[in-house]
Amino acid sequence: MKKEYRSVVVFKQMLNQDTAFIILSCPEIAASAVPGQFVNISCSGFLKRPFGIASVNKNAGTFSIGVKVVGKGTTEIAAFKEGQEVSVLGPLGNGFDLSSEKYILVAGGTGVFPINFAHETLSSMGKKHVVVEGFRTIDQAVMTDDSFILTTDDGSSGIHGNCCDGLNTLSEDDLSDATVLCVGPLPMMKAVSAWAEARGLSCYVSMEQRMACGIGICLVCVCKIKAEKEGMPFDHKRCCKDGPVFDSKEVVW
Amino acid sequence: MSSLINVKVGNVELKSPLILASGTCNFGHELSEYYDLSILGGLSSKGLTIKPRVGNEGVRVAETASGMLNSVGLQNPGVDYFIEHDLDYMDSLGCGRIINVAGHSFEDYMAMIEKLDPHKDKIDALEINLSCPNVKAGCMSIGSDPEQIYSIVSAMREKTSLPLWIKLTPNVTDIKAPALAAQKGGADAVVLINTLLGMAVDIKTRRPVLRNNTGGYSGPAVKPVAIRMVSECYQVLDIPIIGCGGISTYEDVLEFMMAGASAVEIGTASLIHPACPVDITKDLISWCEKNNEPLKNVTGTLKLW
Repeated sequence: MKKEYRSVVVFKQMLNQDTAFIILSCPEIAASAVPGQFVNISCSGFLKRPFGIASVNKNAGTFSIGVKVVGKGTTEIAAFKEGQEVSVLGPLGNGFDLSSEKYILVAGGTGVFPINFAHETLSSMGKKHVVVEGFRTIDQAVMTDDSFILTTDDGSSGIHGNCCDGLNTLSEDDLSDATVLCVGPLPMMKAVSAWAEARGLSCYVSMEQRMACGIGICLVCVCKIKAEKEGMPFDHKRCCKDGPVFDSKEVVW
Repeated sequence: MSSLINVKVGNVELKSPLILASGTCNFGHELSEYYDLSILGGLSSKGLTIKPRVGNEGVRVAETASGMLNSVGLQNPGVDYFIEHDLDYMDSLGCGRIINVAGHSFEDYMAMIEKLDPHKDKIDALEINLSCPNVKAGCMSIGSDPEQIYSIVSAMREKTSLPLWIKLTPNVTDIKAPALAAQKGGADAVVLINTLLGMAVDIKTRRPVLRNNTGGYSGPAVKPVAIRMVSECYQVLDIPIIGCGGISTYEDVLEFMMAGASAVEIGTASLIHPACPVDITKDLISWCEKNNEPLKNVTGTLKLW
C-alpha cells in the first residue's frame, strides 16, 4: 500500500534569493523514486504543494527538491528549518522512460531540479547525454555544471538566447537517435518540442498545472492531450496521475 | 469491522457511515492504492453523464482559507464507458456502490436511469446530482427549483426501484423546500450538501483565479453551513439524510449525525490525506465502545435550544 509519510528536513540551503534546495529524509521515497516523478508536501496552507524530485540518496534514505518562491505556500516551504517534520506523499506520477541509449536534457526555470535527477541517473547508468539549461539571467541560474550548456535570455552568461539557441549548438553526434527530455515553462517546452519534431527526435515533456490531491482523484490539474476516442475534441489528462511526463506529440499545445 | 458503526440509509445497510463523496474518489482505483476501501460504507462514483465530458478549461482549482474552489465541470468518461470499464471494479471493492448521476436536462436524467437500471445487481443506490455548480445547464439550475426537483424525481421513481438519493445544492434561500420536493417525488434520501458557489480573484491580473470564473467551495470552511442545513431538514423530513461538507475527523461525523444525518460523505479531506477514512473509522469505533452506544443511535440526538 502507498502511504503518506512523515519526513524530516535534514538540509536546507538558499540557492539564490528566492530558490531553496531542501533535502528530506524518507527511505521509501528515496528507494523507489525515478526521475520525472514528484512529491506533494504539506505546509500550513490547505493543500499540499507539488515539487519535482531533484535527486535521491538511497544509502542515506533521502531525496531533495528545489523550491522557487511563488506564493504563500512556497514562501513557507522555502523557509523550512532543518529538523522540521513535514507530511509527504510520493513518489507521485509517471517518470521519464530512461531505456533509450542517448538523451538530450533540456531545463528551464524550476525544471532544472527534475532534469538534475535525470542527469544523475543517466550518469550512473553510463548513458550518453547532454544537458541544456536556460535562464533569464545569470542571477537566476541554479543547479548548473561546467559540463552543461548554459543559455541566458540577456546574455549575462553562456549562450545569449533561449534553450533552442543552446540546442542549435549541439553536434550531429549529440543529436543522432537522441531522445529529448524537457522540463520548464510551457512556452519553452512548446518550442523545444517543435525543435525536436523538426529533427525527427522523440521528445517527452513534464506538464505542470495547479494541483490539489496529486494522486488522480480530484481532476483539477488537467492538461490537453490529443483525443484517444473519436468525437472528442481532446482529452483532459491528469498531470499528476497520467503525467506529468507526456510524449510531446500527444500534447495539444 | 465492528458492527457498532453499522448504519442504515432507508433500506440500504452500510457497514460504516463513511461514504466517499462523488468527485473526490473517481471510481476507487487511485485510493485503493492507499487503503482497503472495503472498510467504507460506500463509494459514490464520479458524476456520470450520458455522453463523455472533457470538463472545464483550467485553471480549475483555487486554494482558500480552510478550503478550496474547484471548477472541474463534471469531466467523466460517459455512462456507457463506465458500465463497460469501471462498474465491475466498483462492485469488487466490497463497499456500498453508489452511482452519481448528472445531466443537463430532464431527458438526460431519464436516459441515465434507463442505462443504469439494468445493472441494479451491482448498484446499491443512485445518487442524483441536482446540484453541480460548474456546468451551464441542468444540475444546480434544476436543483434550485422545487417544482423541477419534484417532476424529475417522481419521473425517475417510476423508472427504477433502485434507491434514489438526491444530492442538493446549498445555493438556495431555504434548503427545506428542495428537500421536501425530493421527498414528495419519492426520493429515498437526500444528500446535503454539494459545494457552495464561490469565486477567488487574482489581484495581479484582476481576473478570477478559475478559468470558469466561479467554482464549488468545499472543505472544513463549509461544515457549519452543511450541519445547519442537515439540522433544518431533519426537522421536516421523513426520509434519511446523508451529510456532506468539510468532514475530516470522527468528531465531524458525530456532529453531522447528531444534527440528523444517517450517514456521511467524505470529500475534500481525501485530497489532503488520502487514507483519512482509516483513522476516522478507528476513532468512531473507539467512541462507540467508550460510550457503549451503536452509532446508528446517534442520528438526530441533537437537542436544539
